[in-house]
Amino acid sequence: MKREWNRNAIVYIFLIPVLVHFLIFQIYPFVLSFYLTFMDWKVIGDPEFVGLKHWKYFLTDRLAWKAIWNTVKFSAYYIVPTMGLGLILALIINSGVKTAGLFKGIFFLPVVTSFVIIAGIWGWLFRGTEAGMINYLLSFIGIEPQLFLSNSSQALAVLAGLSIFKVAGSTMIYYFAGLQSIDRQLYEAARIDGASSFKIFWTITFPLLRPIHFFVAITTTIGSFQIFDSAYLLTGGGPNYATTTIVYYLYEQGFTSLNLSYAAVLSYVLFFIILVISLIQRKYLGQESNNY
Amino acid sequence: MRRIGFFLLLLLLGALVVGCSASDTDTGTKKEETGGEKPEVVGETEKEAGLSGEITVWAHPFTGDQETEGAMWDEVIASYEEQTGVKVNFEQIPWANRDQKVLTALAANNGPDVFYVIPDQMPQYADAGMLLALDPYLEGFDIDDFVDTALVSTTWKDELYGLPILQEAYTYLYNVDVIKAIGEDPANLPATWEEFEKWAEKAKDKGFYATSFQGGGSMNGTLYPFLWQAGGDVITADNEVLINNEAGVEAFEFINKMYKEGWIPKDSITALEHDALWEGGKMLAVQGSGISVSRMLSQDLFEFVIAPPMKNKEQLTYGTTGMFVAPINTDNPAAAAEFIKVVTNSDNQKKFNTVTQYIPTRESAKDIFGEQKYLAQLADYTQFALPGVIHPEGRTIMPLIQAELQTMMEGKKTPKEAADAAAKAIEGKIGK
Repeated sequence: MKREWNRNAIVYIFLIPVLVHFLIFQIYPFVLSFYLTFMDWKVIGDPEFVGLKHWKYFLTDRLAWKAIWNTVKFSAYYIVPTMGLGLILALIINSGVKTAGLFKGIFFLPVVTSFVIIAGIWGWLFRGTEAGMINYLLSFIGIEPQLFLSNSSQALAVLAGLSIFKVAGSTMIYYFAGLQSIDRQLYEAARIDGASSFKIFWTITFPLLRPIHFFVAITTTIGSFQIFDSAYLLTGGGPNYATTTIVYYLYEQGFTSLNLSYAAVLSYVLFFIILVISLIQRKYLGQESNNY
Repeated sequence: MRRIGFFLLLLLLGALVVGCSASDTDTGTKKEETGGEKPEVVGETEKEAGLSGEITVWAHPFTGDQETEGAMWDEVIASYEEQTGVKVNFEQIPWANRDQKVLTALAANNGPDVFYVIPDQMPQYADAGMLLALDPYLEGFDIDDFVDTALVSTTWKDELYGLPILQEAYTYLYNVDVIKAIGEDPANLPATWEEFEKWAEKAKDKGFYATSFQGGGSMNGTLYPFLWQAGGDVITADNEVLINNEAGVEAFEFINKMYKEGWIPKDSITALEHDALWEGGKMLAVQGSGISVSRMLSQDLFEFVIAPPMKNKEQLTYGTTGMFVAPINTDNPAAAAEFIKVVTNSDNQKKFNTVTQYIPTRESAKDIFGEQKYLAQLADYTQFALPGVIHPEGRTIMPLIQAELQTMMEGKKTPKEAADAAAKAIEGKIGK
């Protein structure tokens, strides 16, 4: 034991700063915000204990449930297309085309571009008047201008499109790494057996990317439940709360309404939702992830 | 077992660091531990001569020209330091997420001694007991020089929590080319809703939008001016909800008419701006303030004229008021209050507003726009400019009203139903 300690001592020492940082900036706020859910606190002064008041209010808060439902809908619009597009882009740059490096740079560009800039461009593209680029293009094929961000049934999908455009590049990189790690001999053997490209993809590539699917599914799901910026920048949560997501609502409660305790409740609700979904994904997607 | 003991030791170490950091904050900044309790009101002698120590001031960037703005602040701060002997630590805080920055700093007892707020924030912060009442520090101070409408936003429940440094008045800027295109006279602009409707109809017939409507933005720039012009209001300080009375419904109806008639663009439900349409010459008028005028003058796109705020039953409009306040837990309240007085005195208001192109809140400082006809005109209109809904829930209820307005514009509710639903939502909010 002592020998093991001596061998690992330097590792433990190097871990100390990280652990201290983790305790101060992760665990301490996490615990404190749970404590805050049972308090009324007006920022300055001492918090007042109110028991389960804020948790009970959450159960009857129509807007909170609408925000959760909007977030679930956003996830439905966002997760699979992000994974699919990331995989398609990875297949393109993995195909050996001469310009693969250029494509990789182009596809990755939105990831490293400021979200505010991309949101500004997206807002212009999907402007609900004839001044919007998409409406301008639609006019050539005789389609009436669409309201897009001003339409409660279109706005969330437009925001999801923005997030897909922004994130697909990073998903591509994960899939590209996964594709690179697949043994080439498997492909050669399949081709000798006369398998078509689609058959090869469906029976070799796709199943062997399972660990990547799992990782990307987890990260995009978490990302989708934390969506905030696009609603904040483009719609302000509207029209009629159609794009009010759980984090947007949390932000509004915490920093506009100064209901910090209720915002803490919402943050814990979000935490439990993400935890449960991650556990479900782990159970069904994570199985056999180390089998190749 | 030893390994577990080692990790427990690490956890203990972390807890100690956390504990020590909190302790350092308490002692290092010398803030009041009681936080919410009001500091002792200083005596007259101390107010006059006993100022000492240092204060931290937070302000935001008001212009794009940081060199000129920085020089202005240096001058203002130097005048204060010379007058009081108090050192000022000036910090410029970006506009983005300013609420979080201020709130987290104040919560940590590590915030500024003076900071900048807008009317939406003041009653909310004051009602939560976060702000220092300035009345005890204003004996002999010339408060009458301030424009009445500017002081509306600095007062909550008969106590003054801030002094205003800038004001705005939103009113319509008209494109002269479009006025001529619809056969009207730029020297005879619409003064009432009725006159505006006639112009709007003509503009529509000629293929122009009558005006912009930013339904995704603040209600201060959309519903509220029409509400006030109709003789209505949102809510009183005594929590009486007025938004769905006869005047309120009339304002909802007017907006609904503008949308249904196509006088405003179709994306007005959530739009945040219509700059491209206005600057492209496709719009008769936009609501604007001093910033809009400066932008128009710098771009020199087309000739424009400014109309007085419109009237239906009342001649009113929106105009923000920017003010400096001190938090209740400042450790140097007298010096903070004195800074607020100095920065908003006539000389410093002239310096500040000359650089930022906002309108001074003191009558004696308004002569800075003598040769600038547009800004001088706007300065004259601040007498009609209300600063928004001065209520602790003013900011909280805005999204509720906005949602109902958007629902109405989508055609899912009548103006009466939307106004009633907004009233119900507000009552639910303040009754919580």
